[in-house]
Amino acid sequence: MSPPATTAGMIYARPTPAKRAERAVFWLLRLSTYFVLACAACIFLDIGLKGGAVVFRKEAPFINVPFLTRAPETLNVLEFEGRKLTLGDAAFRKFRAEHEAALKGVRVETYVYSAGGIFPNIVGTVLLVAGSIFIALVLGVLSAIYLSEYATEGPFIRFLRLAIVNLAGVPSIVFGLFGFGLFVIAFDFGVSLLAGWLTLALMVLPIIITASEEALKAVPKGYREGSLALGATKLQAITTNVLPYALPGILTSSVLSIARVAGETAPIMFTAAFVVRDELPWQVQQWTDFFFQGVMALPYHIYVVASKIPQNEYTRDVQYGTAFVFLFTVAAIAMTAVVLRLRLRRKYKW
Amino acid sequence: MKRFFDAELENFRSHLLQMGERAIDQTRLAMRSLTDADLALADKVIAGDDELDRLEVQIDEEAIRYMTLRGPVASELRLIVVGMKASHDLERVGDEATGIARRSRKLAIEPRLELYADLPRMANIALEMLRDALDCFVQEDEHKALSVIRRDPEVDNLNRLLYRRLTSFMIEKPETISRALELMFISKSIERIADHATNIAEEMVFLSKGEDIRHSDLTKQIAPPGDSAPPLPGNGK
Amino acid sequence: MSEPAAPSTAARPVTVAAAAPADPAARAVIEIDDVDFSYGPSRALHDISLAIHERKVTAFIGPSGCGKSTLLRCLNRMNDLIDGARVTGGEIRIDGVNIYDPRVDVIELRKRVGMVFQKSNPFPKSIYDNITYGLRIQGMKNKARLDEIVERSLRGAALWDEVKDRLHESALGMSGGQQQRLCIARAIAVEPEIILMDEPCSALDPIATAKVEELIHELKRDFTIVIVTHNMQQAARCSDRTAFFYLGKLVEYAETRTIFMNPANPQTEAYVSGRFG
Repeated sequence: MSPPATTAGMIYARPTPAKRAERAVFWLLRLSTYFVLACAACIFLDIGLKGGAVVFRKEAPFINVPFLTRAPETLNVLEFEGRKLTLGDAAFRKFRAEHEAALKGVRVETYVYSAGGIFPNIVGTVLLVAGSIFIALVLGVLSAIYLSEYATEGPFIRFLRLAIVNLAGVPSIVFGLFGFGLFVIAFDFGVSLLAGWLTLALMVLPIIITASEEALKAVPKGYREGSLALGATKLQAITTNVLPYALPGILTSSVLSIARVAGETAPIMFTAAFVVRDELPWQVQQWTDFFFQGVMALPYHIYVVASKIPQNEYTRDVQYGTAFVFLFTVAAIAMTAVVLRLRLRRKYKW
Repeated sequence: MKRFFDAELENFRSHLLQMGERAIDQTRLAMRSLTDADLALADKVIAGDDELDRLEVQIDEEAIRYMTLRGPVASELRLIVVGMKASHDLERVGDEATGIARRSRKLAIEPRLELYADLPRMANIALEMLRDALDCFVQEDEHKALSVIRRDPEVDNLNRLLYRRLTSFMIEKPETISRALELMFISKSIERIADHATNIAEEMVFLSKGEDIRHSDLTKQIAPPGDSAPPLPGNGK
Repeated sequence: MSEPAAPSTAARPVTVAAAAPADPAARAVIEIDDVDFSYGPSRALHDISLAIHERKVTAFIGPSGCGKSTLLRCLNRMNDLIDGARVTGGEIRIDGVNIYDPRVDVIELRKRVGMVFQKSNPFPKSIYDNITYGLRIQGMKNKARLDEIVERSLRGAALWDEVKDRLHESALGMSGGQQQRLCIARAIAVEPEIILMDEPCSALDPIATAKVEELIHELKRDFTIVIVTHNMQQAARCSDRTAFFYLGKLVEYAETRTIFMNPANPQTEAYVSGRFG
């Protein structure tokens, strides 16, 4: 018997069924991940390439400025002196005034929303997101503090938690109808920013409450006890030594919420969104009107230009351009939250 | 790094040294009471033994306390163990000194036998051994300890010599038997004091080196460097 | 006994103070009187009675779940935070006042009875902010006074020399032992009368542990200290009195050396000698 030889022989790999199975499963896992990635890449590439072509320009200033700064207009297409002209509303009116006579009998085709830009929509979306996230964060964090720090665990609290979790499962169209019924009609807010904010806030509250509660619970118990043992009241302990450390986690949840709030069409189509509105949100008579005005919003605009108007090569450009800008806007808002979170985390690292 | 209980160890050490000093004093005074036939001095030695007994109890107490509460290990543990043993030896030295003092009281009121000369000599060697053993404790010098151990046979020989001389003396003059017997016991006491000094020296070797050299040939094999001790009289143990 | 005439013989042996029996004059700061305690339906403490002496270190020892930490947390009412946990019988008096009296202000109580936890929990703030936390929440704003207290507390916790140049750096950059001493400094900054320590060294290495023990020994000059520990050597080293708990009952409470050398109860004997059960 020679033990060293035996031992040495054991180190060399020999294929076994278990090892083959392991390799197969490993590849399955890897391929699934790649497949998902590929799908996502296709979507982003499609929107990025086609939308990018609308938003960016080859020559300075490299960006399609009117698209980002003007309101949607009706596109007028006409053949004039052998050239094909595509003019927005304002330009067409000016053109018509100049060439009143020559235009007689020229056929003008009009396509709604296919000219101009999407500036009011961007503004509307940013307003909707900012307001609803603000409301949702305040309400959500307060309830999370109550649930995780003050509430005594019992049947009622368990029921409350269950209700909150269930709220997250409610389809967004139901939120939209609920908001319409409650805020627009019963509270008589009309189709307005405020109604949109509240509806959207209600929709993301479950995410924010659940995530905030988790974030608060993740703060080591030692910080609470340490504060209390030094003679702090519960409120002092929470505000000085729990909430600040939970903020990064809370912001993480708000990033998810931002994406959801910005992207939802259903809740705002009954409560806050206008298909078209000539004034910008700050062009109001008095400041209280600000809250009670409807706004245009990017997702709703996409919905409208993609399904409510006749399709042609001009609307395609608007669709892709809007989708691209929309993605970019959501990413920008989310990035702000991410950066804020990183800074907080660096400040309160434990 | 200093610890808050280091002072306890220092106290323990100094109490042990104090006890050693005390034992040496007791022995020296007992011998003086014998040579000077000083009754009062003998009484003082007898009374002074209580102090040694008390110190022994205290050292034991401190040692047990330290072991209980401080969990000594390594050199601290050796110090505590050695301290307990050495304090026992020193207490025995004190008892021998008291014995000498008692006998010198009896002898003081009787005519003097001219055989005293060897006893102070023996006592001086024993005292020197004791002193050196205690010095080892202070200096943690195991070579000095070995030299103490090597001097023990000298005292043994002197004791044996005196024993023979006293025996023949008693045969010649039977009327001195009781006094000669006292001297014989005193001689034995001194020999025992030297034995205790040897024990202490052995313990000191254990303290500084962690080796138990009792009942081994080590004492004979290891010669201290530059040892100028004269060859031992007689043929050793 | 009369002084012997012998020459030399250094000074008379001094009596070692620590070997003397308990100082009978020591005042009982905390009197725990027949206390029962329950977590909901399960009873955690049964009829505990003991007196904790002023400016002494009292150690609570016992196997896990014996109730020693529970009792410790009763002393500054940290157990109030646990749902369903309550004292169901008896009284705990601090300086004669029953701390479970409804008129007692828990905040005030906790200022007087500081606490150091098992897991060192410096807040993720600067060292300076950690020390001043307790004072700031009480509304102290005087910068000079705060500076002074920070220095005094850090010196008190034997930490000043190590951190004086980085007071405004994060406390989390300190070593484990330093963090625990910072927590002690933070506790003494509010000038409590009693400091409770819940296994303060369980996460520390031997050197850091020795430093904390050294500190405990220093602190007992000014504070009454109650320490829960699993480390029996630690109880032996740093406490004056030791209480042994088992299954929610106080088995034996005596001088630490009695507990470790000659315990009256066989259960105590079995526990301290490490052959329990």
